[in-house]
This record gives sequence, structure tokens and C-alpha cells, in this order.
Amino acid sequence: MRLTRFLLRRTAQGILVVWGVITLVFLLRFITPGSTIDFVAPLDASPELRQRLAEDLGLNKPIYVQYADYIVNLLQLDMGNSLLKGRPASDVIFARLPATLELAIAATIVAILFSIPLGVISATRRHQPVDYGATGFSLIGISTPNFWLGIMLILIVGVNLGWLPTSRRIIGFGPALELLIFEGRTIGIQVWFEHILLPSITLGTYFTALITRLTRNGMLEELGQSYVEVTRAKGLPETLVKYKHVLRNTMIPIITVLGLQMGTLIGGAVITESVFNWPGLGTLIIDAINSRDWPLIQGSLIVIGVGFVVINIVVDALYMYFNPQVTFE
Amino acid sequence: MNWQRVWRSLRAEFGRSPMAKLGVVLILAVFLMAIFAPFLATTNPKAQDLSRANEPPVGFTDTTEDTRLVDGERQTVTVTTRGTLEYPLGTNQLGQDMYSRLLYGARTSLLVGLLGTAIAALAGVSVGIVAGYYGGRVDDGLMRFADVMLAFPALVLAIALIGLLGPRAVDIPDPFVAAGLVSDMPETTVLPLTVTLVVALVNWVWFARVARGEALSVREKNYVKASRSLGASDRRLMLKHVLPNSLTPILVLATVQVAVIILLESALSFLGFSGTTLSWGFDISQGRDLLATSWWISTMPGLAIVVTVIGINLVGDWLRDALDPDIEGESGGGMG
Repeated sequence: MRLTRFLLRRTAQGILVVWGVITLVFLLRFITPGSTIDFVAPLDASPELRQRLAEDLGLNKPIYVQYADYIVNLLQLDMGNSLLKGRPASDVIFARLPATLELAIAATIVAILFSIPLGVISATRRHQPVDYGATGFSLIGISTPNFWLGIMLILIVGVNLGWLPTSRRIIGFGPALELLIFEGRTIGIQVWFEHILLPSITLGTYFTALITRLTRNGMLEELGQSYVEVTRAKGLPETLVKYKHVLRNTMIPIITVLGLQMGTLIGGAVITESVFNWPGLGTLIIDAINSRDWPLIQGSLIVIGVGFVVINIVVDALYMYFNPQVTFE
Repeated sequence: MNWQRVWRSLRAEFGRSPMAKLGVVLILAVFLMAIFAPFLATTNPKAQDLSRANEPPVGFTDTTEDTRLVDGERQTVTVTTRGTLEYPLGTNQLGQDMYSRLLYGARTSLLVGLLGTAIAALAGVSVGIVAGYYGGRVDDGLMRFADVMLAFPALVLAIALIGLLGPRAVDIPDPFVAAGLVSDMPETTVLPLTVTLVVALVNWVWFARVARGEALSVREKNYVKASRSLGASDRRLMLKHVLPNSLTPILVLATVQVAVIILLESALSFLGFSGTTLSWGFDISQGRDLLATSWWISTMPGLAIVVTVIGINLVGDWLRDALDPDIEGESGGGMG
């Protein structure tokens, strides 16, 4: 009940932000030097042809009419036609979306899988070699540019050792899973895994380092609280004390920071895709900007903005789950 | 704000923490490299020598196979290149000295990092204090705008803005060359202007949030209420009471932001959205297609970034441990 009310409120706020995003993205075209028609029309186009093209695209209308048209079209999921590919921009974008989602989810899994145990071990064995190792790793991890880490992984694992492929995504997770279920062949999943492994380590390392650091510091702080002594005094096993009570309270600041860092995850995905030629939204948006493909630029920015708002709502809901006192007033 | 107390706790923490010392040493080293680059460089970082392209760093050898015409016949010859002291970190595909480029790259990173942070802090703190101090509609409006800005991942917004505005650059004359102290070095240092402005634009929000929070809490303090009832103007209250009280958390945030912005600049240069070619990120992108043959081109500038950012993060940790401000968002030298 409380959660439903919260979600409704938060969604309403989210819609306002998305409207802001759409407006900003729309205005982006007007602060860009050079007129849009110059990028669309062929170099040798006659003035009449340019005129007709501009009319076709609605570029002659007053700005508020263009804005209204834009919003109305967007509500019908019509982002216009990609100037380069001649297909609806939304088709192009949604075809690329799964690749980026897979990468972001895989990186998050990598990060959570390694960071929380590492942080807990580090905090419970303070000033032991394992703690120094973990602390050193997290310092280097948050200081390394992920694109360089990716290039180093390509150099060592791909080029020198030749263990893993270093670019492209041969098969998506969906088709790979279908292959496994309907034909019982594991080759699809295997190829998918080999290709996503290096990119997800590249994208996930920063977050592994960050969460390790947060978990360690949070655990140390919580372990000094009096309630820990009480649960111990009640005779609860040490493992239960650490993993259930202390870790649960440590999760609250971790989730706060993760929420604030989601932009880093998406930005990191853009550059990781570029390093590994991963056919996702990131490589798409860079291509679109370089060729001034307006519908594609605007569409991708809006999809990223909406995705970001949705992720933040989910993070807030998680926050509420871990910290029942929060009311979001 | 008691500066003496701040100074004392900084010194005490510095004495206690070996990591703080390491951080200060690393940052000093990078600053000296950047400032005195014209003296430390052995070759003009822009000078090309195609006959010396792709030479390995000193102490390394590189073997490549080359097809040559010997007595009218094509023969495959194995060519071994040994790294020399002349190019201690090797050369790139244009035969440019990686070591000298590393030194000049430090200039670009620090210029953009410091200037970008300063602009972001100035804009963010002003907006944040005004929003927090006046509260109500002003606050709502400014913070909703901040939410929209935050809805774009910094790197994505930066790519879009620079890609669309075009990378503009300003040439800053090198004082050492102008004074005639060194010759054969670039006469100007290029400041990538669009990049600097855009990284400030995508990062001011963090400063606004911290300053707003501080302003909100200071506003309710009794001495501020007292000065207001004595007729102090809003302007005076903001400058005399709200601003000084927000300085500690802003200082800590600014340190972390320098690291964030240096990483962001390197990412933008790597993707080709920059106004200068003397940049660590640009050099990394140059070595990317040559990984199989010339590993050093991408490796060296990357190490320089890691060392610099580690230094800044250690100093950030030192300031945070000493001053203990309560900053939402904790550390994070993220890619933006």
C-alpha cells in the first residue's frame, strides 16, 4: 500500500523529468550551429529541392509548432525517420537496446558478485593482508578509466593469450536462450558468454571497486554500533550477525550511492561499447552525432533519459525495501 | 569557519596517514611534470619522424616482419628494433616521442580538470546557495532543472554537446618558450574550450546539491536569524554566513570532481571529441589499432591517467577523513 502510493508519486515526478528531457533534447537542435537542412540535403541540391525537403521535414514551421508536432509524434512512439538508414528511428534504437541492456546487467552482476563478499571479508579481517589487497584493488579500480582497462584486457587476454574474442556481439542473449531451450544446443550461450565477458568486466570493475569500498566502510561503521553487541549477547551466531543484520543496514548507503552512480553506468556503457565494437545504443549515438542524424540523436537521448528515470525509481523502491523508516515526504 | 582548526586537523590526519603522503607526492609530481614540461621533454611532442615510427620503450625489443626487394626479389626479413634512450617510452605511428607527449598530456588533463572544476563549482555553489537560502519556488524550480540535468549521464550529454557544438580550442602561449628559455618546443598549450565548458556544465549539479543542503541548514541557525532580524541584507548573509560554512564539503567535493573531470576529458578525447591532440585519451585511441604490434602507445598514457587519479583520490580521502563533511554520494572518481 505504502509502496504503491510511493510508486505513483514517483512516477508522476518521473514523467515531469521526462518532459524536461524531451524539451531539452528538442532544443538541442536549435543551439547547434549550421541549419539542419544543410545536413539533410545533398550538396548539389537545387534551392527548390532544399525548399521541398525542408517543407517535408517541417523545418519551415515556427518553433512552437515544431515542438508541438514533436511531442504529439513522440506520444505515438514516432521519433521520425533516421536520415541515414531511412528507417523509423525507433526501430533502429529498439533493435540496439537489448545489447546495451545485456551489457549493463552483466556488469552489475559482476560488480555485486565480487564486491559485497570482498567488502565484508575486508571489513571483518581489518589490517590483514586480505584487507590491504581489497583496499588497494578498490583504490585502483575507481581510478582507472574503463576504456583503457578494456584496451588492456584486449591486449592481454585477447591479443597476447588469445583466449577470448575482443569485439562484436555475434548472438544476443534471447536467440542464444532459444537455441538452448528449443534445440538443446549450448553453443549459442557459450558464444554469447565469450563475447560479453570482457566488456562486462570492463564496465563492471569501477562498480566492483566502488561497492567494495562502500561495503567495507559501511560494515566497519555498523560493527561499532551497540546493537551488534546486543545481537551477539543474545547468542546469535557470528555469521548471522554479520550477514543478516549488519549487511542489511550497510546496504542503505550502498543503494543511495548506486542510485547516484547510475549515470556513470550508462555513460560507461557508451564508451565500453565503443572499445569492443558492441552494437548497442552507445555506438549508435556516437555514429548518429558524427553524421548529424537528428531523429536518431534525439531518439537515443530520450530513450537513455527515460531509462535513467526508470532505473532511479527502481533504486528508490529498493531503498524503501531496505529501510522501512523512509517515507519520501 | 575556524581555519585554524581546519588546518590543525588536516595536519594531524596527514601525519597519521601514509596514503595521504603518497597522494600528495603523486599530485606534486604530476603538477611539476605539467608545469615544466618544456624543460623535461626531450623532443617536441608534435615533431614527427616517420623513419622512427613505432619504436619500443627503452629496454624492450620489437620484432616485425617486413617484405623488401633484395636483388629484384621479394624477401621477408625479420626486423628487430631496440628501444633507445632517445625515446625512453617509445614512439607512436608518426614517430612522435611518447615520453614528451606524456608530459604535455599532463598539461591538458590538469588544465581541463582544474578549470572545469572551478567553473562548475562557481556556477553550482551560486545556484545552490540561492536555492537553499530562499527556498520555496526558487528552490523548486532550480532543483527540478537539476533533476533534468541529472537525467542525462554526464558522458552522453557531453558527447552530444561537443559533437554538435564542434570542438573549439584556445591557444595559450607557453611562458617559458615566450621568454626564450627553451626552444624547439610548442609555442602554445592548447586549452580545449568546448570540452572544459561542457565538463563544467555536466558537473555543476553536484556542487549545487551540496551547497543547497548547507544553505538550508545554516539558514535555520540562530545567529543567522539574529543577523537577519538586525537588518543584514540577503546578499550579506549569503556571502558572510552561508558561503563560509559550505566551504569544507565543497572543497572535498571539488577534489573528487577534479578526478572525475580528468577521467571525463580522457574519455572524450579517446572518442575523438576534443580540441587538442596532446591528450592522454587521444594517445590511447591512437594506439588502439596497433595493440598487436605496438602495445606501449596505449599503455603509457593510460598508466599516467591511473597514477594521476589515484593521487587525487588519495588527497580526497585525506581531506574527507580530516574534515569529515557529510557529503551525499560519497566518493567516486567515476567516468561521469
